[in-house]
Amino acid sequence: MALKADRDAIDDMIQAVDESATNIIVHGYRGRTGHIEIEVTREGYVLVVRLRDQAPLFDPTRAPPPDLTLPLERRRLGGLGIHLTRQFTDSMAYRTTSEGGNELALRKKVKREGNK
Amino acid sequence: MNISVNQTQGRVPVAVLSVQGDLDASNYQELIAKARELYNMGMHQILLDLSGASFVSSSGLVAIHSIALLLHGEQPPDLEQGWSAIHAVGRGLVAGPQQHLKLLNPQPKVDRTLEKAGLKEFFEIHADLATAIASF
Repeated sequence: MALKADRDAIDDMIQAVDESATNIIVHGYRGRTGHIEIEVTREGYVLVVRLRDQAPLFDPTRAPPPDLTLPLERRRLGGLGIHLTRQFTDSMAYRTTSEGGNELALRKKVKREGNK
Repeated sequence: MNISVNQTQGRVPVAVLSVQGDLDASNYQELIAKARELYNMGMHQILLDLSGASFVSSSGLVAIHSIALLLHGEQPPDLEQGWSAIHAVGRGLVAGPQQHLKLLNPQPKVDRTLEKAGLKEFFEIHADLATAIASF
């Protein structure tokens, strides 16, 4: 079934999912083999993507934002993945699953007109 | 992702490093390696052509930041040491827009990523190749 979302919402969600999945692979599984389950749904006019993994528990919604007021010469290299996930979605919610894994739900409003 | 290099001569030699496709965690190290190769060949001015880059993730931003460090004479992080080494780096650049690394024509989606990451103010972004080359 087509989920019907506008291009901008899809592009933003792709960026957010890429950042989140990369964090799970690099910082969660740390290069070890593991599974990531990605579920894509719509709740009314909201596109919802849930990422589930069995890496050590980590709640990215509690990660402090980077200090973007720092000049480049004082900035840490990297560390922007969670920040970009926040920036490209309307909300992100975390819970532990009944199996003891992580679930991150990303939500992005889609345009009411021109859903294609 | 494909990377191509074109060396050109303005007031100083400039290497135009063009990225085609997605720049993400799967390939950002290739871009750093290519910039390092150019730096070791004596090319210390790089114009990063992003007109063909359809997507840049935060890993791609790490590559851009690393190249800025490299061109400032700093050693970029040892990527074999993983992200902890990458996160430990990030000092030593001169303040203000970078003089040795400039960006050419990012697509709107990529431009937005640079903006949301708070990186646009640190790089001169040109829309035109000739103007960009002349700016070095």
